[in-house]
Amino acid sequence: MRLTRRLFAALAATTLIAAPALAADLQTVRDAGTIRIGMLVDFPPFGIQDASGNPGGYDADVAIALAEHLGVEAQIVPVTGPNRIPYLLSGQVDVLVASLGITAERAERVDFSIPYAGIAIGVYGGTDVAVAGPEDLAGKSISVARASTQDTGVTEVAPEGTEIRRFDDDASAVQALMSGQVQTIGLSNVVFSQIAGVAGDRFDKKFDLSSQVQGIAVAPDSDALLEEINAFVTEARTDGTLDAIHQEWLGEPLPEFVKTAE
Amino acid sequence: MYRFNFQPVFDNLDMLAYGAWLTVQLSFTAMAIGLIVSILGAVAKTSSIRPLRWIVDVYVEMIRNTPFLIQIFFIFFGLPALGISMSPNTAALVALVVNVGAYGTEIIRAGIESIPRGQIEAGRALALTPTQIFRYVVLKPALRNIYPSLTSQFIYLMLTSSVVSVISANDLAAAGADLNARTFASFEIYLVLTIMYFLLALGFSTLFGTLRRVFFNYPAGR
Repeated sequence: MRLTRRLFAALAATTLIAAPALAADLQTVRDAGTIRIGMLVDFPPFGIQDASGNPGGYDADVAIALAEHLGVEAQIVPVTGPNRIPYLLSGQVDVLVASLGITAERAERVDFSIPYAGIAIGVYGGTDVAVAGPEDLAGKSISVARASTQDTGVTEVAPEGTEIRRFDDDASAVQALMSGQVQTIGLSNVVFSQIAGVAGDRFDKKFDLSSQVQGIAVAPDSDALLEEINAFVTEARTDGTLDAIHQEWLGEPLPEFVKTAE
Repeated sequence: MYRFNFQPVFDNLDMLAYGAWLTVQLSFTAMAIGLIVSILGAVAKTSSIRPLRWIVDVYVEMIRNTPFLIQIFFIFFGLPALGISMSPNTAALVALVVNVGAYGTEIIRAGIESIPRGQIEAGRALALTPTQIFRYVVLKPALRNIYPSLTSQFIYLMLTSSVVSVISANDLAAAGADLNARTFASFEIYLVLTIMYFLLALGFSTLFGTLRRVFFNYPAGR
């Protein structure tokens, strides 16, 4: 079963090269009364599957809010990282609320809404550690997961005299921070939200290193639908809907860099 | 087909050489302190004071029956909760000493117990002081008897030291991992690392052979 589905996804992906993308029409969605939304279920806390197998997470709540905005039922279709764009382009889903990072390469294949979520890499540390920017890292210790985006980011900006401690994974790097072996850490806001739950307010963000915003994606030439989605995201970003969902799953309101991104 | 590319390795040989030097320093220091710990442990274990024997028994059994990885994690991440905080390199050294000390204690104890009572009595008959008896009549022949097991344990210690990079201590394996993260030439890097560790082991083994000839070069008593 699993194999046939994979095979089918692979076939769909290959035929896509030749076949034109199937645009989703707003009117068709409204007539059907349901919108098929593709989302990841293996990407906590954005997309998860709860104990009874139902999709949950930030993306799921956004998907449901989007369907509500459109006045239709949400039908959530689980997709995976590699097959999510093929699912969309072959018309098996109408939209993707699948933590799809907005990149120029992907924008050639799909149309992105304005950002509805984002992952930021930043430097975090004890509230009593005075670090306002990269230059303050001199003479301080910082832990990172070896070869991660934050390793690259920290190594790039750290001044002479920074003690960069590389661990095998985020978990060990976090452990080093929690046990006081390092003063600061390079981490994504997603992982930080998880440790904030354990460590309370002992740590806070010092500065951002880089960020990646995510958009809701539709197949090309679905302009009417995209317009509605953009209207939804704009509204949800300002009226607190996304803040509330973000607070629930990531422990903080929607970050400023997502709200201001176009 | 996989295309070998040793360029990243050759370009960064100085980095790997420095890592190897750190591994030599770390292992050598751990061996030296570990030897002292082992001798003290073995003396305690063969002493007539019972509580002392029990303490050493607990230490030896605890260390020999738990993985080194857990021990080093405990020392680096766990001890700060008790207010004992060490730099990664110090924590690595402490972990290695504690580990090799437990194995060394058992090895040297076996050596001490292999000394026939008659030999000690002969020492007494020659009016040697207890310190002299321990040093020349017990310890030296004991070390000579168990020399091969002890040195192979020391070489194993050097190889084990390759895991200290999990607590971000600096050594040859950490240098390799950092280089790998930058260049992605995994196979080439780990092949060179394997050769370097082999040469280090060979070097230590030669050193131990020389030490044996210098210190234990006298005819066997039995």
